[in-house]
Amino acid sequence: MAVYKRSYKPYVGPLTAISRRWLVVARFSLATAFSSRISVVAFVLCMVPPLIAALIIYIANNELVQAAMQVKSSGALLINNRFFVIVLEIQSWLALFLTAWIGPATITPDLSNNVLPLFLSRPLSRLEYIAGKLLALAGVLSAVTWVPLLLLFTLQSQLSKTAWFTENWYMLPGIFFGCWLWIAVLALVSLAVSSWVKWRIIATGATIAILMVPAGFGGVINGVLRTRWGFLLNVPYLMTLIWTDLLRVPLPLQAVPVPLAWVAMLSTAALSLVLLTRRIQARQVVRG
Amino acid sequence: MANIELDDLEVRLGGRVVLDGLRGSLQGRAIGLLGPNGSGKSTLINTLLGFHPASRGTARVFGHDIRKHSDEIRAVVGYMPENDSFISDMTGIRFVRYMAELAGVPPEQALERAHEAFFYVGLGEARYRKLGTYSLGMKQLAKLAQAIAHGPKFLILDEPTNGMDPMARQRMIQLVREVRDAGDITLLVSSHLLRDVEETCDEVLILKAGRIAAICNLEEERRSNRKFLEMETVGSIEAFVESMREMGCECATYSNGRIKVVMPENVEIRDMYAVAARRSVQIRRMNHRRDSLEDIFLNAMEGKSMTGAAHGSL
Repeated sequence: MAVYKRSYKPYVGPLTAISRRWLVVARFSLATAFSSRISVVAFVLCMVPPLIAALIIYIANNELVQAAMQVKSSGALLINNRFFVIVLEIQSWLALFLTAWIGPATITPDLSNNVLPLFLSRPLSRLEYIAGKLLALAGVLSAVTWVPLLLLFTLQSQLSKTAWFTENWYMLPGIFFGCWLWIAVLALVSLAVSSWVKWRIIATGATIAILMVPAGFGGVINGVLRTRWGFLLNVPYLMTLIWTDLLRVPLPLQAVPVPLAWVAMLSTAALSLVLLTRRIQARQVVRG
Repeated sequence: MANIELDDLEVRLGGRVVLDGLRGSLQGRAIGLLGPNGSGKSTLINTLLGFHPASRGTARVFGHDIRKHSDEIRAVVGYMPENDSFISDMTGIRFVRYMAELAGVPPEQALERAHEAFFYVGLGEARYRKLGTYSLGMKQLAKLAQAIAHGPKFLILDEPTNGMDPMARQRMIQLVREVRDAGDITLLVSSHLLRDVEETCDEVLILKAGRIAAICNLEEERRSNRKFLEMETVGSIEAFVESMREMGCECATYSNGRIKVVMPENVEIRDMYAVAARRSVQIRRMNHRRDSLEDIFLNAMEGKSMTGAAHGSL
C-alpha cells in the first residue's frame, strides 16, 4: 500500500502483544490530555509547592542560610511528620483540581464522539480500556503526589545531620500507599463522572462537586445532629485523616475511626468503578 | 470452512428478540447484508463483533465461536461503523495511527500505514486536518482508512456509502472492490442500497424482521442468468425446439413464437443462431433473464423462500 502506488496491500509486518495494547490507550490519552496549554500550566503549578518544600528542607538543614535569613530551625522550620502531612494535603488538593481538569479530557472525547465501537472492535476489552485511561491519570497524579513527596523525603534524609531517616522511615509506606489510595479515588471518580456527563467542562465541575457537595452535606449533618458521622461523606477530610494516621500524627478528637475512613474511601472507588464499567460499552441498549 | 456460520443465533436486546434463530452458512468472499430498517443488520454485525451477547445459539467467524473466541475474531477484523465514530479534535493521520496501533501494528509501522491508507482512500492532502473539519464523504473515507490500515482479514463495512454524492459513492465502491480483489480478505457489507451490494458482493444475506429471508449466491445467480434466455422468433419453431433439446437445452414454448431456454454449460449462444439458421427460424429478440438483486430482495420481502442460487428451471 505504498503512498505513490495508491493500491491496497494487506499488512504483513509484526504485531505487538495483545496484552500490551491497553498501554496504547494510556499513551494516547496522556498525549490528548496534555495537548491543552491549560493542562500543562496546571501541571507545572502543581510542582510549585514541592519546590517550596524542598527549599524549606534545604534551609532547615543549612545553618549558614538560617543565620543569613535570621531564622531558627527549632520552630517553623522543623521537618517532621506534620510537615509532610501539610505538604501531602496541599498536593492532594492540587491533585484533585488537576484530575478534575485532565480526567474528563482523557475519556469524554471518546464517548461524545462515539469512538468506543472502534476501540472495542479491536482486541481490547472494556476493562483494558478503563485500565489504559486509569494508567494515564495515575501517571499524572503520581508525578504530583507520591513522587515529589518521596523525593522530599530523600532530600531531608540526605541533608539531615541526625539519624532522621531511621526515626522517620515509617513515613515512606504511609506516603506511598496513602497517595495511591487518593489517586485511585480521584481517577475513578473523575472517569466515572466524565463517562456519564460527556461534556468536558461540565464533567470538570461535576467531579469537584461530587467530592465537595457531600462534604458540605456531611457538615450540615454534623451540625444539626451534633455527630461526627457526617465526616464519612467528606472525602478530602477522610483522606487527610488516613494520612494523619499513616504518618503517626495525633488524630483530632472528633475524628471518625480510621478503618471506617478506609472503608468509605474504598467504597467510593468501587462504586465509581461499577458506574464506569456500566457506561463503557460499545453499544448502549435502550430497554423497551 | 464457511466464512460465517450462523447456528440458531438469537439475540435479545431490551427484552425484545432482534435476531430470531438465524441459521445459515456464508462462504462468499464479499457478503452483502441486506434488509429494511430494523431488520437486524447492525445487530448481527454487533453480535459478530461481540458487542451484544447471543441469548441462544451462536455464530462462527472463520471457525471461531463468537461466544468463546471473541478476541480471535476481533484480532482479524477491520470495522467501519455506520455512524460518525472518530475523535473530532484529532488529525486524521493521528487517529488512523491510533487505531492501527490498537490493532497491533507497532508505532512506526502504524504511522506509515496511516499515511498509506489516507493516500489510498484519496485523502492524502487532508490527512493533517482535524477530523471534525471533514465533510461527510471525507469522514466515510477516513472511517474506511482506519478500518483497512492494519490489514484486516475480515472487513466489516456498515453502510459504507451513506451520505455520499454519486461520484464519491462510485469511488467508495471502487475502493471496496479493490480491497476485495487485493488479497486474502473477506468482506461483510451492510447496506440498504441494493446497487452497492450488487456491485461489490458475491453472496447476499437478506434479513427481514430479525429472520433470514434469503441467502443467495450472486455469482451462481449471475452464471445461471447467463444461461437463461428468453427469445422471440418468427417461423416454425417445432423443429428448432427439437434441435435445441437434442443439444441438451430445456425449452418451453409460448404463443407468438416466444421460447424460454436454459442452456447447458457446453452450449453457447452462437450455437442457437446456427440451429435457428439451419431450421429457417428468425430470432428477432433474445434476452438474458435479468433476475436482479432487486427482484431477489423483493421476492424475499414477499416471503418467497430463496436459499442458494436461483435455479434455471422453467
